[in-house]
Amino acid sequence: MLDVRDVLKSYDGRAVVNRVTFEVAPGEIFALLGPNGAGKTTLIRMITDILRPDAGTIRLDGRAVADRARNEIAYLPEERGLYRRSKTIETLAYYGELKGLSARDARRSAMTLLERVELRDWALKPIQALSKGMQQKVQLCTVLIGDPRLLILDEPFTGLDPLNVQMFETLLSERRAAGATVLLSTHQMNKVEELCDRALMINRGHMVLYGAVRDIRRRYSDHAVVLRTASRLGAVPGVRSIVAGNGEATLTLEGSTTPQSVLRALLDHGVEVESFALASPPLEDIFVKVVREGLGLDHGQSGPPTVEPVAAIAGAR
Amino acid sequence: MRASWPRIATVARREFLATVRRKAFVFTVVGTPAYFAFVMWISTTGEMKERAEVLKELSTVGVVDSSGLFSDASLEIRTEVSSESGSMFARKAPSGLVPATLFRTKVRVFGDHANGEAALRSREISQLVVVSADYLESGHVRRYARTSSLFSSADKRAIASWLANGLVRGRVDSLLAARVSRPAELEQLYTLGKSGRFELKDDRREMLDFMLPFMFAMLLGVSIVLGGQYLLQGVAEEKESRILESLLCTVSAEELMAGKLFGLGAAGLLVVAIWVGIGAVFVGPILVLAGVTLPAGLLAIALAYFLLGYLFYGSLMTGIGAVTNNMREAQQFAVWFTFLNFVPFIMITFLLGRPNSPLAVGLSLFPPTAAGAMMLRLTAPSSVVPLWQVAASLALLAAAGWGALMASARIFRIGLLLYGKTPSLPEILRWARQG
Repeated sequence: MLDVRDVLKSYDGRAVVNRVTFEVAPGEIFALLGPNGAGKTTLIRMITDILRPDAGTIRLDGRAVADRARNEIAYLPEERGLYRRSKTIETLAYYGELKGLSARDARRSAMTLLERVELRDWALKPIQALSKGMQQKVQLCTVLIGDPRLLILDEPFTGLDPLNVQMFETLLSERRAAGATVLLSTHQMNKVEELCDRALMINRGHMVLYGAVRDIRRRYSDHAVVLRTASRLGAVPGVRSIVAGNGEATLTLEGSTTPQSVLRALLDHGVEVESFALASPPLEDIFVKVVREGLGLDHGQSGPPTVEPVAAIAGAR
Repeated sequence: MRASWPRIATVARREFLATVRRKAFVFTVVGTPAYFAFVMWISTTGEMKERAEVLKELSTVGVVDSSGLFSDASLEIRTEVSSESGSMFARKAPSGLVPATLFRTKVRVFGDHANGEAALRSREISQLVVVSADYLESGHVRRYARTSSLFSSADKRAIASWLANGLVRGRVDSLLAARVSRPAELEQLYTLGKSGRFELKDDRREMLDFMLPFMFAMLLGVSIVLGGQYLLQGVAEEKESRILESLLCTVSAEELMAGKLFGLGAAGLLVVAIWVGIGAVFVGPILVLAGVTLPAGLLAIALAYFLLGYLFYGSLMTGIGAVTNNMREAQQFAVWFTFLNFVPFIMITFLLGRPNSPLAVGLSLFPPTAAGAMMLRLTAPSSVVPLWQVAASLALLAAAGWGALMASARIFRIGLLLYGKTPSLPEILRWARQG
């Protein structure tokens, strides 16, 4: 679907996107992560052909993005707005027509979308009469109209209440089921864990993490297991420390101990195990750790931060 | 991605409709001609009214005649004023065409200055004229008034006429005396016309000779600026409302710019078309009666100037809208370019009076002032503009318009996504060169 190869973009001799390579498969929800100023927006602007890379290629289904049909990609930027004085339906229909729909089809699709996001009654109202949340929903509709195959969403959940977030997620799932691909850029790591199959994290223009979200979390786990049990835990062979609370205990293992041997030992000691899983840190902790490591390079080292995990995971699907 | 005409047309249609549906557009269409009509009415009727007021207040003139030359002069000054003769556009209208108002001023003779001044102070007389003893040799006359009008010298002309009449009264017959007091009242002026022959300068025609080029060139200038302003406003608003980035994923910067140029240019042209329509209804019959026709060639040249002038100014305004952060900032930059477009109108007296002077030729070749200056020169009475100058002016304007379009397209592409910081001039120039 989307193939980004060795893409470089520099401003005033400084690389803001430095040799970034990744792929997004059809129907995938892919997270693009990174701290502020990491180069995410520049990368997205190159994918949408708003900016041209200095080097490297960006292809959509084998064709350069510059040669794609304009209705194939839709982009919801982080900083977004609408024509405040235009009617809601006209605004949406305008986006539809720009994506190649006829005037009639654009209006029909716009109305269908407005019904879907419960804004039918606001179709003939000017955008400025809508609340901020309603405007957010209209902005989402501008992306969905014309059924683009690649949706690029930058912080799409900002300003939405939980109900609308749920509606949004349902819409995304429907689009995904229909074969659309989603590139999601957000700082809400819980949403990445919840929605995304794979992720790419960049920091200061360099790739620092790339792979399946589950694999990334596993890679950053501290060789520990999480155990849910009602039994009281004593010393367990091969376990360095136990932190318990709320019916759950995190057991940090010694280097040579395997999770299987610990589970066996627990069962042998008569512990009633309700659940047993490898402990993996939340993505947010990984994000903070990776970014901090990257920032630490400012004090004495140079070059791309934390490249090792990328090398290890790169290419993994 | 190649530029798509359907997308350009979609952008153009939206820009056009969004603009013409605004209340501000209706206000511009109706309000601007109404404002100009009101200002012209105020200035012309004000002047006529002022003249009548001055003569009305001149009910009695006191005269101290130390020369003794006016002892037999009439004790009444009769001044006829036609209702049109005060207008700046028909100052030389032939008498008898419009009804005249007769103002009568009594003349009261005083033996000395002191008595005359006392009468003036006590408002028994409106003004006091003191004729010196050596008036015939020196021409010294002093006139005293409690106030004087800034805008009319009708009182001075009435008294001058009385003095002229008084000087010859009794020495020549009354007809000659009347002619001496108004020697060139029915003067006919012949000037070299565009046909190469001397033609009688008709007063009404003279008004049209001034008004027509002025209005024509003004319409052209206003339409160019109007379209440019719509562009500036559109781009600045879109930038301010952060709508551009999502649009640019679907439509290229070049398509967006082209669509805006077409759509908002059409909106500007619509305003002018409505104004011309209104003008045709109200002024058309007068033009027909006066035998004034606008040659088709002139209209074609005007259209070419509009298109090229709009391309030039529209491109500049788009570039300005793209590099500034909001409408207020954009206006501050744009005002300088708008001013350039109106330089010919500031110099209208010069351009109409000396249409073939080097400065007039230079202004009509210089792209920012070419449209207004050339239209004034082309429509100025007694002016014959060589064809090569029109061709050169259009060619230079086309080249400048194309250059501005190319530079602005590059600036537009980069500037649209730049928020919060106004780029420096070297940065803008670098974008314009490199894109």
